[in-house]
Amino acid sequence: MTRSTLPTSVVSRRRFLTTTGVAAAGATLLARAPAALGQQVRELNVWHTEVEPQTVKTIQDTSIAEFERKFPGFKVKQQALGWGDLNTKLLASLAAGSPPDLTHLNPFMTASLYVKNLLRPMDELIRALGESDIHEATLKLQYFDGKYYGVTHAMGATYFAERRDLREKKGLKPPETYDDMLKLAAALTEGGRYALQMPGEKLYMGFVHPAEWLAGNGGAWVDARTWRPQLNGKAMLEALDYVQKLNKFMPAGWSGQRYLDTLAALATDKIAMAHLSGARTIGYIERYAPESMRDPEHFQPMLRPHGPSGQKGISALDGENWAVFTQSKYPSEAFEFLRLFYKKEHYMAYCHSVPIHLTPIFKSMINDPEYLSHPRIKKWRSWHDVMVNGLRTNRFLPIGFSRPEDNRLPFLAELDGSSIVADMVVEVMVSGKPPKAEADRAQRRAEELLTQLGHKRWS
Amino acid sequence: MRKSALAGWLLLAPSLVLLGGLVVFPVVYNAWLSLFDKHAFLPVQRFVGLGHYVYFAHDEEFWNSFGHGLVYAGATLVLQIAVGIPTALLLNEGFRGRNLLRGVVLFPYVIPTIVAVMLWKWLLNDSYGLVNHLLVAFGLTRTPVAWLGKDWIMASLVITSVWQFFPFVVVTYLARLQTIPPELYEAATVDGAGAWRRFRHVTLPQTRSVLFVIVLLRSIWMFTKFDTVWLMAGDGGVSRYIRTLPVYAYARSFTYLQAGMGAALAVIMFVMLIVATAVYFRVFEREEAIS
Repeated sequence: MTRSTLPTSVVSRRRFLTTTGVAAAGATLLARAPAALGQQVRELNVWHTEVEPQTVKTIQDTSIAEFERKFPGFKVKQQALGWGDLNTKLLASLAAGSPPDLTHLNPFMTASLYVKNLLRPMDELIRALGESDIHEATLKLQYFDGKYYGVTHAMGATYFAERRDLREKKGLKPPETYDDMLKLAAALTEGGRYALQMPGEKLYMGFVHPAEWLAGNGGAWVDARTWRPQLNGKAMLEALDYVQKLNKFMPAGWSGQRYLDTLAALATDKIAMAHLSGARTIGYIERYAPESMRDPEHFQPMLRPHGPSGQKGISALDGENWAVFTQSKYPSEAFEFLRLFYKKEHYMAYCHSVPIHLTPIFKSMINDPEYLSHPRIKKWRSWHDVMVNGLRTNRFLPIGFSRPEDNRLPFLAELDGSSIVADMVVEVMVSGKPPKAEADRAQRRAEELLTQLGHKRWS
Repeated sequence: MRKSALAGWLLLAPSLVLLGGLVVFPVVYNAWLSLFDKHAFLPVQRFVGLGHYVYFAHDEEFWNSFGHGLVYAGATLVLQIAVGIPTALLLNEGFRGRNLLRGVVLFPYVIPTIVAVMLWKWLLNDSYGLVNHLLVAFGLTRTPVAWLGKDWIMASLVITSVWQFFPFVVVTYLARLQTIPPELYEAATVDGAGAWRRFRHVTLPQTRSVLFVIVLLRSIWMFTKFDTVWLMAGDGGVSRYIRTLPVYAYARSFTYLQAGMGAALAVIMFVMLIVATAVYFRVFEREEAIS
């Protein structure tokens, strides 16, 4: 074929190159249009752990909407992630040097990040929010060397959720001690129904609950002065003995089941108590329990019992804190966003998106008639009262804390991640191995870990 | 001559750069990293030489994980072959619906691992799982079996993995079966060989080399399998009973936050597999030479 025989519709090279060049330039310009117009859109990345759709929508419709109105050059991109996902993603983003501008953090991770100089102080914000109005249970969790490095987004307690009607039929009171609890568990295990179920996730059975056992039995993860682990101390050994006995009243496969499975089992009458519960459980009860039983007369929260060496049972306080990293791209805007987040009408709507589970951090709001007027709080008022009572009597400690000073331990995240405690608990509870031998093994592993991480202070 | 050699190198250069950047560099970097006490996400590191390797030689968790890996890889490999080869033989026969069945058999292999594992966890759940429901309904057990609990979790993992990966054996073996000349079977039949002897003396020798590849690849893949094992119980208390070396390496890197130790575990696995592969090759070559 010669050139002259080419059909006329064939595009010449020159024309092709010209068209491609113009199209590419156009596409580039379009993609960067706001910048080209002098109105660059910047993205404020906000990560948090409240994954319920109505909460995500509330944040979008309140704080984000107002922030974007006030700062026209900004778009807020919120990402709701479960705990585990958030931790993994955060670590990866920190490793890559591009963390979000604003994020939720578990208090047990905060110290670790603070000592590595990764967090920005937020004293100004705390003062603006009203330092004296923030509940003492959360105020100083991220207070290091005279400065605040975090502020809790909301407070939710963890406790047992019990079938109150079954317990009352047996004529038993809520347990105060480990012994009471074992008696109650024995009484409630009948007719194919087990007394209780613990969640099988490592995070809970291998970290959150062991911290509660230590705290409720006069123990601690480590020696306050030397940071030497105390996993084979008296407090832990007594707790392991207790949970080994408790295991008899739990379904055989509990260690392979998840937290949500335990709530489903409670709502559908397979167990009489869910070991890990919070106000979210109400949602499960309202959805899955028999219609005639969806009320606080049948389902009630119950605080933890204490051990023989403890004074009062301690439950974990589920309340991540907001944190701004030193590497955050837009730190000032992140703080501005937080001011809007805590603005009364926005914050009230946020707390109402999962009532009781998201109890306000402001003392003035916890008993505010407007807050209490929400229909779910009205119906489940006794659950709210347990929360308030627990706060008043200091029955809560942040997740993973065995005592308030644990906020200064920079290795709790690593201890949680190591499976050392989870392995000990599962061997004692599920395999029925002697607590002392397993505690000694865990102690040895924990000492090795802290030594490897450079936190050994003992000789 | 030199000019053409230069041109050759230039043409090879992109491939070499890619290979170097994507294969050689990560392996070398990982080996280098294993000599340091390196935090997973902070620029903090300290040279420890072979310290991590010495540590793992005495680490109980390492040997537990190694043992679990051997059990898991061994059991799944044997069962994949035990299920896969008869299935391939069946699908090599002519019968109605054969093509449909060939497609159906592939199904477990093509669905994402997360779906496969969630499906099996749902089936095996002791509160609401179908398997327990059927076992109780047929009176085979009075109380549900805790398939996802300590005593059964390894068996559940093996069942899930065999279900998911045996189609690879089927497809690979079937492809080889289809290339065996039918005359060989005809001659054997004429000589009076029954089905078993035809399999023993015709099929097996003809499929020897593909079996070698299947055993080699599947054992490497199962020994280094991470996703299925992790999804089965990675974040659960029972993970202790199925924790394999890849999971332990992940945990050291991303939950203990000890990247150097995780890298050392990866190097150890790499060396183990190289040695095992070399031995396997040597044995196979010797047997080939004898036969």
